[in-house]
Amino acid sequence: MRFRGSVCAIAFATMLISLLPARAFDDAKYPNLSGQWLRINLGKGGQISFDPTKAWGLGQEAPLTPEYQAILEASIADQAIGGQGNWQSGARCLPAGMPATMNGYNSMEIVVLPEITYVMVEHNLPIHRRIFTDGRAWPNQGDVEPTFQGYSIGQWIDTTGGGRYDLLEVETRYFKGPRALDATGIPTHADNQSIVKERIYLDKANPDTLHDDLTLIDHALTQPWTVFKTFRRNSDPRPVWREENCPGVSMLLKIGNEVYFKGADGKLLPTRKDQPPPDLKYFNQTRK
Amino acid sequence: MPFHNSIGVITLAAALSLTAAAAWAFDESKYPDWKGQWLRTDTGIPRYDPSKPAGRGQQAPLTPQYQSVLEASLADQAAGGQGNDPTYTCVAPGLPRIMNNYEGAEFVITPNTTYVLMEHIHDSRRIFTDGRDWPDEFDPTFAGYSIGKWIDEGGTGRYNVLEVETRGFKGPRSYDNTGLPLHEDNLSIIKERIFQDKAEPGFLYDQITTIDHALTRPWTATKKYRHVQNPRPAWRESVCVENNPHVEIDKEGYMLSADGLLMPAKKDQPPPDLRYFNQTRK
Repeated sequence: MRFRGSVCAIAFATMLISLLPARAFDDAKYPNLSGQWLRINLGKGGQISFDPTKAWGLGQEAPLTPEYQAILEASIADQAIGGQGNWQSGARCLPAGMPATMNGYNSMEIVVLPEITYVMVEHNLPIHRRIFTDGRAWPNQGDVEPTFQGYSIGQWIDTTGGGRYDLLEVETRYFKGPRALDATGIPTHADNQSIVKERIYLDKANPDTLHDDLTLIDHALTQPWTVFKTFRRNSDPRPVWREENCPGVSMLLKIGNEVYFKGADGKLLPTRKDQPPPDLKYFNQTRK
Repeated sequence: MPFHNSIGVITLAAALSLTAAAAWAFDESKYPDWKGQWLRTDTGIPRYDPSKPAGRGQQAPLTPQYQSVLEASLADQAAGGQGNDPTYTCVAPGLPRIMNNYEGAEFVITPNTTYVLMEHIHDSRRIFTDGRDWPDEFDPTFAGYSIGKWIDEGGTGRYNVLEVETRGFKGPRSYDNTGLPLHEDNLSIIKERIFQDKAEPGFLYDQITTIDHALTRPWTATKKYRHVQNPRPAWRESVCVENNPHVEIDKEGYMLSADGLLMPAKKDQPPPDLRYFNQTRK
């Protein structure tokens, strides 16, 4: 009788549990990546750089091939005399694209759902990445429209075996260009065959610090280039989300291969000494 | 003893269930399933009221002053200009135009925020559903500041309507590419009811009402989107600036030719004033 009573109790308890409504998303299994993330400035000077642990510009020591090192140096030289160099994101308001999207120009938000992790970044324009975590295989390159952000597949890892994921490993392929790595115009290869690998995880000592260990594999490089980006969580539970709209505010205008300024009066200005005006050959009238 | 053992097992099961329930902060079964890609169902120029033709056909209840802005816009466009459409240089369209849904939308629902991700990439929105009040001050944006509330109309235990109000705009904004104008004071209030078709859940509606000083009365339209059945749809990345041939200099719209040179957009359009350049190329 005792045994039968226990069996009944267990059966009843099991039924109780099964009556709970099905909950497809157990967010307790995932790390809390909510909120607004802002890059941690390590004080290396200059503008926001691809490798935040090193100095700006040539101090990045980018492992570029000689051909692409020359492109970088030409970019820096052009910028020194007022041009935009190889940084198309500035001159044309183009998205920086991966991996520069993760440089932390403005705020970032990460939304974790079972099949997709979304990364939303305000830079030039509201940018969003989708990191597919639904177990899909890589599509054939010809079946994917290349994009500035690329096509990302991720996998959640429970590194401690504690029953909770703590690491998101991501690989991104299938890019379009042009893409540079930061505003000095560190170039990626014109073939756009970059592969970007990331390990995204919260700091174990401080869960309000986020790490993105990012490795770029690219034919402009002599070796894979790994950089370590860190972000801090804004403690305001209702942060302000700025709206970036580069085309609406940019004073730069690219005509042909030249970049000009638009002055406060709306008229064109040169960006460097002795810059010729735009060619007006298609106009019937000559204003000046 | 058998009775005590049974009680213990049942208590343990109940405790386990409650613990598991507490750990699940996001009960997605309470929210409608709007996952995936949604495309607009109307054809032709994406416009505010998809049930009517674009331009004058929208029969927008504009004040006389803003009706004349529309007429001037249409006339300028007929002559080759861009009229009152600010987006030809890739300035963000803002609300309500975002919801014309040019190239595909995704609704990402979380308890505190519903994100509307538009593939026309400067169009994405956040709709805050965390119960917040309106802020005292806005940092005006093209998309505005949206507060939403989930409604369970049928009392079924599952939300089925998202009611949204949006304020805090910047401009200029137009309803569509005819340049149908919103008031320059940017005090628009946009109200929406977003819900799935009860009979055909493959359709989503956005019943949108614009309250604006360029209008003689609130203007309501219903947008309809269809769900893409592919569970792994292709997400296009639409970058307006990438191949845009339109430029604006000193409030005049010009074009860039295939060889990258400036061209007039209208017949006999004078070239831009190049007074700040030392050299004259032509």
